[in-house]
Amino acid sequence: MQKNKKGAEKIISVYWFAILFIVAGAMVYMVSSFYGKPYDVREIEAGLLTNKIAECLSVEGYINENWGNLNTDNFLDQCGLDFNTEEIYSWNDDQYYIEVNISEKIISVGNTNLKGSCFLQGKNAPPCLESSLYAIDLQDNNYKINILSIVRKTEKNV
Amino acid sequence: MKNLLKKNKRGNILTENIIFIVLNIVFITILLLFLFSRTGDASVLEEKYAKQIALLIDAAEPIMTINLNMEDAIKIAEKENFPAGEIVTRTGNVITVKLREDGGYSYSFFNDVEVNANFDTITKKEYYFVISEKE
Repeated sequence: MQKNKKGAEKIISVYWFAILFIVAGAMVYMVSSFYGKPYDVREIEAGLLTNKIAECLSVEGYINENWGNLNTDNFLDQCGLDFNTEEIYSWNDDQYYIEVNISEKIISVGNTNLKGSCFLQGKNAPPCLESSLYAIDLQDNNYKINILSIVRKTEKNV
Repeated sequence: MKNLLKKNKRGNILTENIIFIVLNIVFITILLLFLFSRTGDASVLEEKYAKQIALLIDAAEPIMTINLNMEDAIKIAEKENFPAGEIVTRTGNVITVKLREDGGYSYSFFNDVEVNANFDTITKKEYYFVISEKE
């Protein structure tokens, strides 16, 4: 009777270690998969880019008086933006795309190819952030401003 | 003789239990060491701070000063004998965080401003970033 009890205890301890190994394996897998991937900050970055553009185009609800002079060539300078990126992964300063639509006037800057990826699904697809705001001018004319911001940087975020 | 046998039996049970407990403790300690080494890894912190600083700059306006507590990163740099004053550097609009000689992580920001990254030599825990207009 006592012999059986001892045998049962040994079996229990074998199971105990088996459970420990399974739990440890699961923990190692989860931690490795979580910390092995980079932090994905593209959506936050696209949101900040949208805010920056909105602040450039509208001040306290009034549209920037110079908005008529804005175009693809001077938009980055006028709004204090710089789309240069680190020289890595054959990036060629083509990781951003913005498109601003003010009363049917469209200004687009950056890598136009990224716009096509807005229809793609999956984690590799760059996030496309669309926002709208309303502004008035000094004559109380209304303007609807649509902003589309896309940040790629897939290699550093996925 | 009967008494002696009984004593030995009790001794065996105790030894088995001690070995069992010690093995468990060793196992859990190794697991915890692995978890802490992964979460506080230099490469993880380099990436985290490079991205955090780039996003802070993107959200900032000229004439702002941003203080960032980087105590954990500074401790790792000190362990690696890397100067704390050279952890954060800026080249153009790219922020690089480096905690060891053969490491480093860079991330770019889109805000076209002048940024000065400075190590706080008084607290020795923080970095502060002075944002100003580009000349």
